[in-house]
Amino acid sequence: MMDIIRVLVTGLLRRWYDNLRNLLTGTRPPAGAAGLTVLCPIINDSDGNQSHVMALRQHLQDLPLHENSPMAAVPNTYLCRFYILNDVFYQGAPAEEEHLKSKYLVYSTNFHGDLDSYLSGMWEHAQESIRQVWRHCVAFENVRTTADFVAYMKKCQVRNHLFFNGSTGDPLNRQLKSLYLKQEFSRFVYDHQNTPPEDLQRAFQAFIARTQPGNPDSPTWVAGADTESIKT
Amino acid sequence: MSNIAGKAYAMNVVTPAKWYWVWVNKLFFWFVQLPGGAAYLKGLLTLSLIHYARWAIVSPKEFPHLDESQPKEKLKYSYMFFFSNFNGSWDQYVDSFHAAIPQGLDLFWFKNVKYPKSVPLQPFHAYITYNQIWTSHYYSAYPLATSNDIKSARHLTRELRAFSESSARADPLEFHEAYQRLLRDVQQDISIMERTPIVSLSAQAVEQRLDQADAERADQ
Repeated sequence: MMDIIRVLVTGLLRRWYDNLRNLLTGTRPPAGAAGLTVLCPIINDSDGNQSHVMALRQHLQDLPLHENSPMAAVPNTYLCRFYILNDVFYQGAPAEEEHLKSKYLVYSTNFHGDLDSYLSGMWEHAQESIRQVWRHCVAFENVRTTADFVAYMKKCQVRNHLFFNGSTGDPLNRQLKSLYLKQEFSRFVYDHQNTPPEDLQRAFQAFIARTQPGNPDSPTWVAGADTESIKT
Repeated sequence: MSNIAGKAYAMNVVTPAKWYWVWVNKLFFWFVQLPGGAAYLKGLLTLSLIHYARWAIVSPKEFPHLDESQPKEKLKYSYMFFFSNFNGSWDQYVDSFHAAIPQGLDLFWFKNVKYPKSVPLQPFHAYITYNQIWTSHYYSAYPLATSNDIKSARHLTRELRAFSESSARADPLEFHEAYQRLLRDVQQDISIMERTPIVSLSAQAVEQRLDQADAERADQ
């Protein structure tokens, strides 16, 4: 109990201090990893010869995977998913049985940066794919601009009560560059066991020139690639 | 439909809770986010197989209502949405948490309707299975990497850049000594990432179906 009180008191004091310091110095805390959860109601009507929900489910299931996924084009997307919430689950007696009046497209994404920049980037880099998905959702026909899309997504946003980051909060290009370097350096180490000092130094200098550790954008891994695709 | 993207698995669980109990869940979630409260999430960090996880509690009034044509939800329960991105199979994940942080799980799902508690295992398995929803499309920016790969890659990159700068003017023997020290410091970060072994026949079937569809399109 004393531990909990200690965490509460020190935690609140620390948070107030951080907020006050940021206010006085005009600084903003650095952006890291964040999570977005949106529930978009699906149109309860037909789309040609099938329902919107069926058409949407089929469309999502047919989307290309990995680096060909439309989400690979959206900057700073770590991991994201789509699923369809058809209804809520009845838990059995004595729980009450209840049902949703709409079906929802659930979009859940883990990304780097602030929400407005992320959503703007999503619209600007994957607009056509987004239209193909969200055209099945209520009121999406009114979305025409980046600002409309950001506002629409925020209307559908639900609050995350706990976001757990078990990875790093680095920008995606840095994460991909680090993975590329880890892979390349691991190979270098395996290939240069028992290499004489002079040859080793020369080989290492060539390795650094080739892999450019200080350049986060090139050469690096391609976002979403499930094989070793390297972007130069 | 696949819950798998490379080495990541997407879990979605939606469970009901009575409105007067969700305040306890919200209070707990708020508490662990205070500086110092994160110690209560230590079990999650120790297991180290999660990229990102998230809990969102949605009350009946918070279900998005966008247009008059859309009926308003009339629900008695609030719903807790759980999303996880983890490495390994479903069984490995659920069993690890059941074994490592049973009290933590019981706090996360505290008083959710008919939550059986995380021990014993079989009712907990049944509860998660019953309330899980399959993912229609799942994307990972790094299908070849685990969460541990990303963390170790960050450490290796930092060390490698520092070594590259500090050893730039060293003679070959000095360089060799420093290189051996570098390897000692980053030995836990050195490994080759490969495609994951098949952990799900359904995920394999999805990839085969899409590959076949691509091949058919290419033939046309």
